[in-house]
Amino acid sequence: MTIFLQLVASGVAVGMIYAAIAFGYQLTFATSKTLNFGQGEALAVGALFGLTLVPFTGYWLMIPLVLVFGFGLGAVVERLAVRPAIAIKSEYGWIMATIALGIIFKNVAENIWGRDDLPFPSPLPDAPIEIGGVRILPMEMLIVGGALLMMLAVEIFNRKSIWGKAVVATSNDIDAAGLMGINTKRVITLSYSISAMTAAFAGVLVAPVTLTGATMGSVLALKAFAVAIIGGLESGLGVIVGGLILGVAETLTGFYISTGYKDVPGLILLLVVLSIRPVGLFGKAVIKKV
Amino acid sequence: MIVTKRALVGALLCATALGVAPFHAAFAADAIKIGLTGPYTGGSSSMGVSMRDGAKLAAAEINKNGGVLGRQIQLVERDDEAKNEVGAQVAQELINKEKVVATVGFINTGVALAAQRFYQEAEIPVFNNVATGTVITEQFKAPDYDNNYVFRNSAYDVLQAGMMVDEALRQGFKKIAVLADSTNYGQLGREDIEKQLAAKKMKAVAVEKFNIKDVDMTAQLLKSKEAGADVILAYGIGPELAQITNGMAKLGWKVPMIASWPASMQSFIDIAGTNGNGVVMPQTFIEDKSVPKRAAFLDDYYKAYGVSKIPTPVAGAQGYDSIYLIAAAIKQAGSTDGPKIRAALENLNTKVEGVVTTYDHPFTDKDHNAISRNMVVFGKVQDGKIVYANPDDAKNASTVRVKEKSSN
Repeated sequence: MTIFLQLVASGVAVGMIYAAIAFGYQLTFATSKTLNFGQGEALAVGALFGLTLVPFTGYWLMIPLVLVFGFGLGAVVERLAVRPAIAIKSEYGWIMATIALGIIFKNVAENIWGRDDLPFPSPLPDAPIEIGGVRILPMEMLIVGGALLMMLAVEIFNRKSIWGKAVVATSNDIDAAGLMGINTKRVITLSYSISAMTAAFAGVLVAPVTLTGATMGSVLALKAFAVAIIGGLESGLGVIVGGLILGVAETLTGFYISTGYKDVPGLILLLVVLSIRPVGLFGKAVIKKV
Repeated sequence: MIVTKRALVGALLCATALGVAPFHAAFAADAIKIGLTGPYTGGSSSMGVSMRDGAKLAAAEINKNGGVLGRQIQLVERDDEAKNEVGAQVAQELINKEKVVATVGFINTGVALAAQRFYQEAEIPVFNNVATGTVITEQFKAPDYDNNYVFRNSAYDVLQAGMMVDEALRQGFKKIAVLADSTNYGQLGREDIEKQLAAKKMKAVAVEKFNIKDVDMTAQLLKSKEAGADVILAYGIGPELAQITNGMAKLGWKVPMIASWPASMQSFIDIAGTNGNGVVMPQTFIEDKSVPKRAAFLDDYYKAYGVSKIPTPVAGAQGYDSIYLIAAAIKQAGSTDGPKIRAALENLNTKVEGVVTTYDHPFTDKDHNAISRNMVVFGKVQDGKIVYANPDDAKNASTVRVKEKSSN
């Protein structure tokens, strides 16, 4: 039983990393039906930026600065890659454009920080904490807690603030929101900013566990994409559940079946969800009237 | 000067066949170009950069002492980014555009396998100084090929796998868990370990796999633990090997770990921190100044690159030696002609004093691996440095180990 719980605990930690990134996909999809395919790069650039700041500010003070950086980065992505595509009502222009921007970010990062993977100083002690026979690293708890806190903060922002309400209104019906006097273009920019901000935050959260480098987000962003599809691209709760399902499925399969097949159940789940419930476990079924 | 008739005819034939020979003559005093390829960026760059810097040091020394055949050595550096396709491109560029007479390098087995066919076709010797895949020197083996242009002065996988298994048994471990990464390198190494175990009528209690950039090893380690493993044999590169030691620390389950040689990479030391202490791995070279030649090499390296430690000592030392071996072969061949250099390498008459060992006839036409098992020792991670794992090796460090005649 302890083994099972240990596997679940480790799976939850990995799953929350996926969920934190997938949350960023969900934010922009809700407002504009577009995604930033450069989310992995936003994560890497955020982490690298944080790594540069750490020697001057320490870990905790660095976080707000990285959030501001991510916020700006998201606005740039939206202006350069997404807005032109939406303006000409292109169905897929933004896909190419965000991928292209992602590649550019990666190359710029490689030129600034080099292509080496750099270790990120851990703000917490390395010794694990034991709870009922299950051992967890303090850093893993920080990842889970930090990711949940971040999602909660965004949810509160959406529900309570006037800007957040505009975001929700735009998500529900972009045309009606526009008619009600909401500047939907700005709302979309805002959603991209928050999305990249969450990615940059996720970057500095996971960096002490992984390594920091321009390619650190590539595998994570892909897994997060699967999470977003499993959970539903329009639901914040969905990505958390999706992330946990994928993370736990990976560690359990690794132990009970084979570590060689660790990634398979996640992909099978992805196929099953796509064929049975294409909007995801928590997605709202959309009826598109033509 | 006596010119034999045959040589004259040969020269004439060459001149007519190529048509460009007269131009070549004009460049006779030019530098001898040797390709130098490896990953200088990315995850395996600590190996690539150490190898490159070691090789550059050797070339600078040779040039200072008058070069080879009265010509200077010019190293043409290219970054293969540890990517197979980039490695293949680099090979073609070095051969066709830069016209190198030989190439040294390759850190990654996959890159070596993808790139060295171009050298084989062009009949240019290619010298693996770090990559360890056993198949590397067997890719163009006789009888399928008349001549094999691939040489190596690193400890290949079968040799390392054998050492790892023997070390585990020597220490009295019975239940062995094998963890290997999912790349060519890791899986070929795992295969070698399993073969070695089978030869001893043993079977690993757990054989697990992990991916590059995996951050969580809980499943792999718990399976090993449940199987009752008392030692872990790990085949992978620095970052993931470090995740294994960190995972063990997290689970509070600590068994000895015997790793493949990349556990001496800086990235392993950085990420594993104190968790990495005590991990042992096969090494051809330990940063140790007991041999004058090695002390001089280390001092020069530290001075030239402003460091207090070689990022990956093995790669630096093997890179250094590879240039001396090639230079000796060019000197003996008296020419920069590929087939002649190959023939000279296969029958080196002079002893080449390197930092790994003194090479006495390191290659034959059948054996293209310079390193034999007796030259490899176990290194151990201790507080951020690699030291001798066995006190006896440290004591005997000043004895230079020479290749066993019967080996390989």
